[in-house]
Amino acid sequence: MKEIDTTQMMKTWIFIPIYLFLAAPLWAVDWDKRNAEFTTGVIPILKAACIECHSGSEADGGLSLTHFKSAKMVMKERATWEKIAVRLAIKDMPPADAEPLDDSKRKQLIDWINLAINDVECGKTPNPGSITIRRLNKFEYRNTIRDLFGIDYEPAMDFPGDDVGYGFDNIGDVLTLPPLLMEKYLKAAEDITRKAIIAPEPGPMFENFYKLEQLKPKSGGAAKASEITLWSNADIKWDETIPWSGTYYLNMLLGGSRVGNVGPRVLISVDGKKVREIDVKATPETRDDYQVMMKLKAGKRNISVAFTNDDSVEGKVEGKKGQPKEDRNLHIYSVGISGQKPSEAVPLSSLPESHTRIITAVPNVTQGPQDALKKVLTAVARKIYRRPISTTEVERFVALSKNAMDDGESYEGAVQVAIQAMLVSPNFLFKVETPEAKTPEGYPLVNEFELASRLSYFLWSTAPDDQLLSLAWRRQLREPGVLAGQVKRMIDDRRANAFVENFAGQWLTLRKLDMFEPNEAMFPTWNEEVRDLARRETYTFFAGVMRNNLSVLRLLDADFTYLNEKLAKFYGIPGVEGDQFRKVSLVGQNRRGILTQASVLAVTSNPTRTSPVKRGKWILDNLLNTPPPPAPPGVPELDKAELNGTLRERIEQHRADPACASCHKLMDPLGLALENYDAVGRWRTRDAGEEIDASGEMPTGEKIKSAGDLIRIMREKNSEKFVRCLTEKMMTFALGRGLEYYDRCAVDQIFSKTKVDDFRFVTMVTEIVLSNPFQRKGVRDDLESLE
Amino acid sequence: MSAKRISRRTLLRGVGTAVGLPWLEAMAPITRSVMSAEETKAPLRSLFFSVPNGAHMAAWTPSGEGPRYQLNKTLECLAPHREYVSVMTGLTLDGARAHGDGGGDHARSGASFLTGSHPKKTNGSDIQNSVSVDQVMAQNLGSKTRFASLELGLEGSAQAGNCDSGYSCAYPSNLAWRNATSPLAKENNPSAVFDRLFGGENAAEKAKSKSVRQAQRKSVLDFVLEDANDLQKKLGTADKRKLDEYLYAVRDVENRLVRSDKLKLGEDGIPNFPRPAGVPRDWSEHCKSMMDLLALAIQSDSTRIATFMVCNEGNNRGYPNIGVPEGHHDVSHHGKSSEKQTKIQKINTFHAEHFAYFVDALARVNEGSGSLLDNCMIVYGSGISDGDRHNHDDLPIVLVGKAGGRIKTGSHHRYAKETPLCDLYVWMLQQMGVKADSFGDSKGVLKVS
Repeated sequence: MKEIDTTQMMKTWIFIPIYLFLAAPLWAVDWDKRNAEFTTGVIPILKAACIECHSGSEADGGLSLTHFKSAKMVMKERATWEKIAVRLAIKDMPPADAEPLDDSKRKQLIDWINLAINDVECGKTPNPGSITIRRLNKFEYRNTIRDLFGIDYEPAMDFPGDDVGYGFDNIGDVLTLPPLLMEKYLKAAEDITRKAIIAPEPGPMFENFYKLEQLKPKSGGAAKASEITLWSNADIKWDETIPWSGTYYLNMLLGGSRVGNVGPRVLISVDGKKVREIDVKATPETRDDYQVMMKLKAGKRNISVAFTNDDSVEGKVEGKKGQPKEDRNLHIYSVGISGQKPSEAVPLSSLPESHTRIITAVPNVTQGPQDALKKVLTAVARKIYRRPISTTEVERFVALSKNAMDDGESYEGAVQVAIQAMLVSPNFLFKVETPEAKTPEGYPLVNEFELASRLSYFLWSTAPDDQLLSLAWRRQLREPGVLAGQVKRMIDDRRANAFVENFAGQWLTLRKLDMFEPNEAMFPTWNEEVRDLARRETYTFFAGVMRNNLSVLRLLDADFTYLNEKLAKFYGIPGVEGDQFRKVSLVGQNRRGILTQASVLAVTSNPTRTSPVKRGKWILDNLLNTPPPPAPPGVPELDKAELNGTLRERIEQHRADPACASCHKLMDPLGLALENYDAVGRWRTRDAGEEIDASGEMPTGEKIKSAGDLIRIMREKNSEKFVRCLTEKMMTFALGRGLEYYDRCAVDQIFSKTKVDDFRFVTMVTEIVLSNPFQRKGVRDDLESLE
Repeated sequence: MSAKRISRRTLLRGVGTAVGLPWLEAMAPITRSVMSAEETKAPLRSLFFSVPNGAHMAAWTPSGEGPRYQLNKTLECLAPHREYVSVMTGLTLDGARAHGDGGGDHARSGASFLTGSHPKKTNGSDIQNSVSVDQVMAQNLGSKTRFASLELGLEGSAQAGNCDSGYSCAYPSNLAWRNATSPLAKENNPSAVFDRLFGGENAAEKAKSKSVRQAQRKSVLDFVLEDANDLQKKLGTADKRKLDEYLYAVRDVENRLVRSDKLKLGEDGIPNFPRPAGVPRDWSEHCKSMMDLLALAIQSDSTRIATFMVCNEGNNRGYPNIGVPEGHHDVSHHGKSSEKQTKIQKINTFHAEHFAYFVDALARVNEGSGSLLDNCMIVYGSGISDGDRHNHDDLPIVLVGKAGGRIKTGSHHRYAKETPLCDLYVWMLQQMGVKADSFGDSKGVLKVS
């Protein structure tokens, strides 16, 4: 193409909206002016040409135009209007059987729509948008646990609640947290901590409570089933066979009457030797638990409990004849002994690596349990919460552990409990961001720890590693060149495979490949192994373009791919031997880029045949970001009850209906061009005995003969559209939210910066990372305030 | 041992022994004999099954009306329980209609099936549906059982891409909605369901006494509740909504710890049912395994309310073993081809046979003078009628069970055009003892017998 005149450009297929993105105005929107234009200029055209079909609840294509009363409402539903502009531009609306719309009015309408919906203020402080707090999805959870503890927690794959929105499963608004998931998080936290840290098995328990009437004092007291009373200096004693040497507790429920506010003193002895003396403060009314620790040797021991400070004060008490005024007595309501054999230390050699990494301190002579817990829990909490930990937070973790220890848990077990709490805390399960409020200078940056998490979950689907965190600690993450360097490092890292699987797997809808079960009889060479290999081909290919920092356009037209012997045989490509995937040249083959890879071709097919419509729609949805409108509700029934002929003929009959034609003429030629690839992606020249005809006419007139032509046209005429599509999909994944109209400013910038570097992959990723939406937190502006 | 009164702290030193904690009083299984009179009457259950993509109505709708009706091909498999089967013809799910929102009937009818509302068209940022009928029941009666409700299905949420014409996948993948914005995800792994229901435990867990584990769980949950409350103060509106979901989930799990005493069969009470090994590869086996577990859950009174999504709405799997290798959704757009309609009917029948398998399982369990089936209300059907036209009137709906004797015998009912499906839900809510005179878009109470 030499000179581009605008009318010619109008005819250029589906890529018209490219100029929509250019140079958004820097001035604020003049709504009054825009509204006036809408009322006087636009509405009359709509009324004359569109409203007849597009109104009310049964509107054609589900599109009703009657409720648009102002330019702001047009802005609010800009995606709809963008589609309207495209359909007008390619002249498939109004449809052929409707009243024609003359060219000048058509142009007026398109121009106004484009002006109105692109009226975004990209001035000094465009809104970077607000990401709704994102829960870790199951892949992120599993990866994060792997990196924190070295444990592959496979049950995470059964976690529910990761619904998809905007094509991806990491969208904050859509990720829910049903109670079922909380249950699983709790169970996971327990399983994971038990695997990561080995707590000694608790030893056996010894416990004996005595029947009080069998502990009769020889004198000075009496015993019945409910209590023993000692009224003079006297004792009870009994023999107990102690099973092992160690610490035991004498557990007693006591109360005592007082003289001069002094209660009974009780002496506990073992084998006649004093263990401890206690003063009973509880009265018979307030009886209380008393516990005495005793170190006992195994074997028969004689234990005694003696009352040693009997006293009384004579005097008359009203109504109580013959009793002293004050009388100190001891009441014993229960007595028992308990002990637990110390647990056996776990031999060092059998401790997992995670244990020694986490348990960096144990209580000993120089530090009590509190100090040891503090050290251990601070370090681990920083990693788990992906940020610094406040003193208050540390104190709470220590208190939680300490309570568990007080309740008999071992030190290691108590650390497990605190880590369980961390793993169920919203500070771990969510990517928490709490930036400052907007200032006159603009929207606030997320802090460096939050940025590190945004980065690592974008490119690795896992927590930031030590290098990212330490850059954040030193506040160096945003220093010039550092972020770009980190992006490069992260892409080269193995963990970026998660990006390939999670981003490309969803972008190219390859995760759906598992649900594709082609008819075995018709496609005997396809099986689960081939399916997995085919998906791996695409992932490896995507990773190849990414790691070699090629232009993203190579995804469309590369003359190489990655295969192993099995897959090469499936394709019929000779000369590849062995199980290893390797780069294979496609020169001389009928294949170029992702559109000709079996994974993509299969995922867009039906179990028994190809679906040119689905393939066409797939290209519009995923490569050009111009999804065709959905089939209208109550698809009009065709005059002919059944279609017949070849697939192409049936599709053409279908398209004869003007109601279907407007969309199908966008989708069908794209899909038909791929007819030489069967439902599982093998090359073929005949289908059901008929010669394949892959030719067609693009909606804008280009004649194509084959998949090769289609790919060439995609590459030559659609490259910008494709790059923008990829940028927008990648940003959606990077941010975890759907893109809004104000994101256009960032997309424009990323696009132009990537363009000067030949659309290289790493440049695109870097520019996304450097963009405002990724760096800052703005407001959730969906034009609610506009009416 | 006598006169034992000892502090919780002292007791907890006795790790390894079975001790009760104040908040876990009465850990012992409650038997019917000690229950109140009201409780000894067999409880009523409400279960909801959905199948995707509508049905071939010509083979579904019975001939004749009233109790003497003739079951049609698709539902013939329910013949052994005919006196329990009410076929309800003519009900409408208005919320699933476009109302100016264009395509997306599958997403809408999935989301609307138990809510009766018209879900907001969004890919995610502002999901808006409304509470589902099962959750209204659960919120009123859920405290009576260990699980307020169970959400089951055979597949997770969709894995990638748009689910249906600009609708988030949350819509066609979830039947149960706790409120307008929080769908309740379903469990699709039989072994995980088993573990939830009957506490499959590993050796490490058994090393600790149950009460100590429960006490630690409680302390962990209390701790994170505080974390969440702290965090709540620092967040914006949309974030707060997510944290609310979190808080609800934590409290729900905490309540379940307290209600863990309500498992009536005791810890080892399911002797003849082995723990399933995982998700069977075969669809039919998977389906039956999940249905077995649902029947066990009902039998053990672990819950009285459940939803079961046979497939996500719009599902496009093929059924080669019954001669339908094509995708279900693809074939459902039959374009009046009789060959495709026959295939749709085959899939409908195949699904109905699995449902009949579940009905059989309930019928085999004695309860009072009859079977479990006498005390159930089971809705089975789809929010789409003809998969080709995507119409939402004349829905395929059956109600199985005698609702504790409130339905004398099964009938074929023909309702007036545009009778809301929600009228049936109002009737069910009332039987469950929920004070309600409307639900969703209901216009009244459905007459069911």
